[in-house]
Amino acid sequence: MVRKMKNKKAQMKIQQMAFMLIAVTLFFVFAGLFFAMIVFSDIRKAAEGLEERNALLLVSKLANSPEFACGNAFGSFKTSCIDADKAMALKNNIELYKDLKGNFWGVDGIEIKKIYPTDYAEIECDSGNYPECGKITIFQKQGIGVSNFVALCRKEGSGGFIEDKCELARIMVYYGGDNN
Amino acid sequence: MKKNRGRDIGKRAQEEMVGFALIVIFVAIILLFLVVFYLRGQDREGIESYEINSFIQSFLHYNTDCGDYFGGIEVRKLMFRCNNRMPCLDGRDSCGVLEETLEDLLLESWPFGPDRPIKGYELEIIANGEEMLALQEGNQTNNFRGSIQDFTIAPDSIEVSFRAYYGD
Repeated sequence: MVRKMKNKKAQMKIQQMAFMLIAVTLFFVFAGLFFAMIVFSDIRKAAEGLEERNALLLVSKLANSPEFACGNAFGSFKTSCIDADKAMALKNNIELYKDLKGNFWGVDGIEIKKIYPTDYAEIECDSGNYPECGKITIFQKQGIGVSNFVALCRKEGSGGFIEDKCELARIMVYYGGDNN
Repeated sequence: MKKNRGRDIGKRAQEEMVGFALIVIFVAIILLFLVVFYLRGQDREGIESYEINSFIQSFLHYNTDCGDYFGGIEVRKLMFRCNNRMPCLDGRDSCGVLEETLEDLLLESWPFGPDRPIKGYELEIIANGEEMLALQEGNQTNNFRGSIQDFTIAPDSIEVSFRAYYGD
């Protein structure tokens, strides 16, 4: 009788310990999951940041390519600077350029849009109205667009002098148009 | 005797439960502290933005209507002119032109508002360690991106920092 009682007590103790172990394990699992959620949300944020950074790097690479870049034409060497006169020349001869090089940049659209000053911002540039215009569409846009800030510079004649004139613009690059 | 034993077992069970609850509370408080410190550290850091970096580089080249003998001078050079209290060719205060130009330029470049992703921005220009100009619009949130650029025309050095505040 005493032995039976002792066995029962031991069983109870083992059960108690088992429940305790399960409870503690569950607690740590939940705590771990909570931490993992925070860490993984950060990883997702970092991935989004990297994606954005890559897109912006593509835009900057294009803006700094010899077909667009200011180089040393406006005093000192400038990065994130587009020569508007070059861009206009490219726009006017884009079919010829495409024949020679195909889709050289591997993108589905390039557009340069003046941000400041806002005069003529919505007017598409052509050889008739340049520079009193605000948009230079190098090729027609299709697909997803990413953009970045650039200085849009040109040479301007005034009072017998030629001066540099740089304005603030955004270069927009479109890609993935075939998938749509 | 039996009653006493039953009471003892009940008491022990209660004590164990209280002990377990205390351990849970103790660990939860430690976890909470860790999370709070982790999140606070993140808020202070912000994110270095490639876009804002390009923005600063681009607006520094913008030709203002403050002229010298070679035409409208760049924002970058206008900062040094302002720092040395040199007026524009037409007599206007170079610091006034700088402030006015940057105000308009920022409003057009970073549209903000409650129904937009950008809630506000802050531009600070520091010349030789002293604040030359500070422009702030909209609301400041914990979710911001920014960039700092410094450049020198001896003996002056200028630091430009810009932050854009996004919705939480």
